[in-house]
Order: sequence, then structure tokens, then C-alpha cells
Amino acid sequence: MPVQQGLGETAVETDEEFRARLRAFFADHHPGRPPRDPAERLVWTKAWLATLFDHGYAGPAWPRAHGGMELPFARQVIYHEEFAAARVPGPLGTGLNIAAPTIITYGSDEQQRRWLAPMLRGDVVWAQGYSEPGAGSDLPSLRTTAKRSGDEYVVNGQKVWTSHGQSADILFALVRTGTQESRQKGISYLVIDAHAPGVDIRPLQDLTGGHLFAEVFLDDVRVPVADRIGEENGGWKLARTSLGHERAAGSMNQAALYRRVLTELEELARERGLLADALVRDRLADFEIRVRIMRYNAQRIIADILLRGEPGAASSVSRLLIAEFEQDLHEFAVDMLGPQGLLGKGSPLAVQRSRWLQGFLRTRASTIGTGTREIQLNTVAEQVLGLPYDPSMPPR
Amino acid sequence: MSASPSEEQEQLRRLVHDFLQDRSPVADARRLAESGADGDRAVWTQMAEQLRLQALVVPEEHGGDGYGPAELGIVLEQMGGVLLVSPYFATVAMAAQTLIASGDETAMRRWLPGIADGATTATLALAEDSGAWDAGLVRTQARSSGDAWLLTGSKSFVVHGHTADLVLVVARTPDGVGVFAVEADAPGLTRAPMDVLDPTRPLATVQLDETPATRVGTGDASGWLASVTDLVLAASAAEQVGGAAACLAMAVDYAKVREQFGRPIGSFQAIKHKCSTMLLQVECGRSAAYAAGAAVATPGPEASTAAAVAKAYCSQAFTHVAKECLQIHGGVGFTWEHDAHLYLRRAKSSELLFGSPASHRARLAELVGI
Repeated sequence: MPVQQGLGETAVETDEEFRARLRAFFADHHPGRPPRDPAERLVWTKAWLATLFDHGYAGPAWPRAHGGMELPFARQVIYHEEFAAARVPGPLGTGLNIAAPTIITYGSDEQQRRWLAPMLRGDVVWAQGYSEPGAGSDLPSLRTTAKRSGDEYVVNGQKVWTSHGQSADILFALVRTGTQESRQKGISYLVIDAHAPGVDIRPLQDLTGGHLFAEVFLDDVRVPVADRIGEENGGWKLARTSLGHERAAGSMNQAALYRRVLTELEELARERGLLADALVRDRLADFEIRVRIMRYNAQRIIADILLRGEPGAASSVSRLLIAEFEQDLHEFAVDMLGPQGLLGKGSPLAVQRSRWLQGFLRTRASTIGTGTREIQLNTVAEQVLGLPYDPSMPPR
Repeated sequence: MSASPSEEQEQLRRLVHDFLQDRSPVADARRLAESGADGDRAVWTQMAEQLRLQALVVPEEHGGDGYGPAELGIVLEQMGGVLLVSPYFATVAMAAQTLIASGDETAMRRWLPGIADGATTATLALAEDSGAWDAGLVRTQARSSGDAWLLTGSKSFVVHGHTADLVLVVARTPDGVGVFAVEADAPGLTRAPMDVLDPTRPLATVQLDETPATRVGTGDASGWLASVTDLVLAASAAEQVGGAAACLAMAVDYAKVREQFGRPIGSFQAIKHKCSTMLLQVECGRSAAYAAGAAVATPGPEASTAAAVAKAYCSQAFTHVAKECLQIHGGVGFTWEHDAHLYLRRAKSSELLFGSPASHRARLAELVGI
């Protein structure tokens, strides 16, 4: 089968040759361990993403026109497996997963040219501005306003839970262009320059003690009308499209990532002589089952797409499985380590620089961010199982 | 097979689905279970003659159609969905796959054509009084006497064992564990149904007292019996997925129409969350069962791993979903007349047959070197 090649490749390549080529590339260009200082780390990560892009190894699913690899599905899977195995940093910000599919689907040619390749290369970091203090899962109630003034919108309001907000160059945001009463019918999708006057981004300390999120204050920020994606007041459909775009091959990436993490946890249990404990073995075997099912799910989603053009029901539940898995896994690791599991990385007695404890805290967000588990369960119930809407919820 | 059914496999699924909905819906499972019958003869014959389901995994040279465990899984998923009361699982998933795995040409020539055309029902008797599915614990003795073998001992939890025309018995020999074919009319063979939770899947005791038997395969059988176990586990997991999916569908249908406080109960988050969690388990189970169906086609460590994953997960999933289905039906679900308890019975029964989830996790841990 002739396949799409990375830059500089012309011959027909087998899956194994493709895998070998990726491995060689990751080995040759591996950036090593990340710097600890956040600012240095940002520069370091951007350099790596540029390397990926410049060698034709960025954006496995992306159209080649936008600098991606446009790989057939099976190759995307191999890409994600090798990417996870190589332990190299992935995309910065939430642009690639959420904004990019929206721009590819709804953006004008000019918008695509201007935004996509720099996002993929890591030159420009995109962060999401959907959530507000009063509107998390209930996005139709958001209050940040954009008033039309000639060729510009004037934006006022506040966003919160903005992942990577402090590194952001661009915010893709939902804003209210209609009345408050118009709910989701008065929402537009704006791309806002994070360095524009009136934008104030403040890191938000989260429960890990770090700054995974920021809050964003928008005070008379002027945004060109040309930077609106889609129709005025037509942003709700776009937001829903992008949230639904959790790409299937990405679930393979998660499966590969957690395969590795679980193997490391098993190693840790072995080193500490805990495998003699039947309860420890039972729990580890349970994680083994779940991580394998994660992979089987991903394979099935991909096979469904290849055979039938769309992912089946497995795709709607795989994220729920992963969220629960990563929470349980890290908590078990902390339990297994006992009091030592409670030590922060400042302690010389901390095990593996406290990664399991950090994971325990960090993964609390897995069932909150991008829609709480409860909201996701509602969505699955209504959209996949066809259960009736809750009359107290907004119509869709 | 790929991780998702091909078009041909989809056709098989639809064919079996439509046939069972028409000829053997759950109401029939209830009727047969209450009467103590071990299946409907007419359905059995149609399955063999019109659908050739008994021939599915039998090699073509022995009168079958030569499909593999993936296709068998697709059929069993549908059978699990209607709680089919039938010696099909015992005959095809257990006995036929044992004969094929033995590689014993004589035995295959002798018994597989009868299985393929529906004339013969069969089963595999491995567990003894403890119920453990472990050839290492077998105490039934096989003694060679001239050309024949004589078996003495007792088997329990034998699926459809009281009616099977052919019982494949695992017994201990001087040269290791062996598999022996015992015909229904063999002298010294006594069989009786056990009093068990799940009336849709009768289990029997089989007593052997100097019972003449034919050896299947040569030498110690533990190696290839392990691969038979993987095949049976994958088959059971597929059947469990079908049962769980049926429970989910039943619960969702009910939640859409049953009203409380002036609205369908399915509009309440508490019910929605239950149903979505059930879907999660059904779909993850389905992925695991498909993966196992593909993996066990080739014996080896990957087959054992995938089979253990599927059986451990699908067992718990089916039982959980069956319990939630009953709960969503409320008081109605607690009545004898409702089907929910039939599924719960099958779920709990199949959870513990062929090894508990905990035992499969322990085996998995060993297999992957934890």
C-alpha cells in the first residue's frame, strides 16, 4: 500500500520501516531531560516542537497543507505509540486538540494559513477561554461580552481554568455577542491576541501547588472582526464540534502512555519487594486489565473508523475509562508506598521525586476539566443511549 | 480478525440475531428453564441445518465451515443476549474446540462430523467437587486396560453434562493429564443435574466407575488443555458481553417509558449516570472480548493474556450491569415474572464458572510477570 511519507521520503514504506524511521528520528533528536525552570522549559519545549515540525514529524493527523503528516489511520497509531515510548514532550497548550479541528472545519482559508502551521510548530501557544467563574459546564450562561464597534469587537469579562494560560499567545474564546437571555444562540467564537492591551493573565495556584491554570481578565480588549471563526452568534455549534473532536488516534497515545506508566509502577512494586503481597498483585493485575482494555478500545475505535467511517460507542466511553484509571492508579501508588508516598519532592526520602503523589493530586482534574464526569455521563446517556433530556437543563 | 467485526462477520451477527429473536427470545429461555429442559430440539435442529452454527468452528475436512473463535464469539454474544438455553456452548465452544485443539485426527474424524451436523451434543468435564477449573487438581483416574482406558472418579459443574451424547473427561494417567471421550451409554457412567443458581445453564455431576473411554490425543495434555481453556474463556466473555448488552438495552428502554414525579426516570441524572456507566462496561467488555477472540486463534502467551483480561473484565461487567438493570426496574425488577433475575443468575453463574475474576487476575499477574 503506498502511504503518505514524512518530508524527504519517496519510497513505499512498510509499517515496520515507518516505525523504525520514527524511532531513529526520536533517538537522534531526543531533547533529553526538561529544564526545571518553567520559563526555560517553555523555550526548550518550543525548540523540540519546531524540530518535529521542520523534519515533517508533527501533526500525524493534520492535513499536509497545514504542515501535518496526513498519515493514514493505522500509521497515526504507530506514531502515537512511538511518541509515547520515546518520552518526548507533546504539543503545548490546548490548541491542537480543540482549536485546530475547529479552524480546519470552519476557519476561512486565510485564517487557516495564518493560524495552523505556527500552532503546530509550537511558535504560537494557544489556550482555551471557554470556562468562566459562573459558567463551567453550563457554558450557555457565559457572560464575557463582545460588542461590535466597526471592524472590531470590544471584549469585556473574565475567563478561568485556562490551561497553560500563562504561556499563551492566543486565546480561543467563547464570548457573548447576543443578549444574556439568548443563551447559546448569542455566543460567538473569537480568537484573541493574548498580548493585546487589556488582556491580563494571572496564574492560578491549583491544589498541586503549581500553576496548571490561569485566570484571564479582559478589559476593553479590541479584537478584529476578521478573527471571528464562523458566523456571529454561531459559536455554540463550533464549540461543540471542537469538544467532540478528541481524535481516536489520541486514545492510542493515552493507552501507550499509561502502558509505560503502569510498567514503571510494577517495577517500583518489584524493587520494594511488594509483589509478594497478594492484594498488591491483584490491584496491579486490575490496572493491567484496564490499560489493556484502553488499548483494545483504541484499536476498536480505529478499526471502526477504517471500516465504517465513524467511531462506534467505544469512543464515547474511552475517556471516562481513562479518567478513572489514572485517578485510581496514582492513588494506589501512593497507598502502596505508605507514608513515603506522602512526601513532596523537596524531601530526600521522596520516592521518584514524588511523581505518584503529584499524579494523585493532578488527576483530580481528570474528572473535572473539559466537562465534569457527571456532565459527560449525562451527554453519553442522552446522545448515545437516547435517554430523555433533563427538563431542568438547557435545550441543545 | 480486526478489532472490529468485518462486513461478513456483521452479516453473521445479524443472521443469528434475527433467528434468535424470532425463534428463541428470552421468554423461551424462561419457559425452558422452568421446565428443566436443556434446550429446544427444534431450535437446535434449525441452528444446525439452516444456519450451520454447530459447524462454525469445525474444520472443513470434518464437515464444518472452518471459522475461528472470533466468529464463534459473534454467535455467542447473540446467544448470551437471549440467555439461550441450549447445549451449544458446551458442544461447540467446549467439546468441539477441545477435539480440534487435541490434533487427534482419529478422534476428530469420529466425532466432529456429528457435532457439525447437529446429531451429537457434547461437553468437556474438567472441574471436580471444588469447581476449580484447573487440570492440575484433577483426581479422576484413567487406567489403561488392553486397548481401552477405564475411568474412575467424579466430575462436577459439567455444563449440560447430564444430557450430552459425548463427555470429554479430563483424567489423570501414569503419563500426565489426559482427555478421554466417554459415550452416553458407557457402562459405569452416572449423571445427574446439580441444583444451581442459573436454570438457563444446567450443570451436572458425572460419576465414572471403571467406565470405558477412548483417549483423545497422546501424552500429557496439560499444554493443549491450557489453550482450550483460553478458547473457552474467550467464548464465555463474548457470551457475557451479549448478556450485559441485553441488560443495558432493557434498562434503557424501561427508563425511557417509566414515569415518576411526572417525567421519565431516564431524565434523572441518577439513572442517566447508571446507564452510562453500564455502557462503559459493556463497550470495554466488548473491546476485550473481540481482542480475546482474535488472540486465541493462535495459542500462546498473548492468547492466555487476552483471554484472562476478557474473562476477568466481562465477568464483573455482566454481573454489575445485571444488578443495575434490576435496580433501575425497581420493584418490578424484583419480581419472579421479570427477566432481570434470569440475567442476574446467568451473570453470577458465568462469572464464577471457569475461574473467578480474582483467579484470572492472579493468572494474568503471573503471565505478565508481575
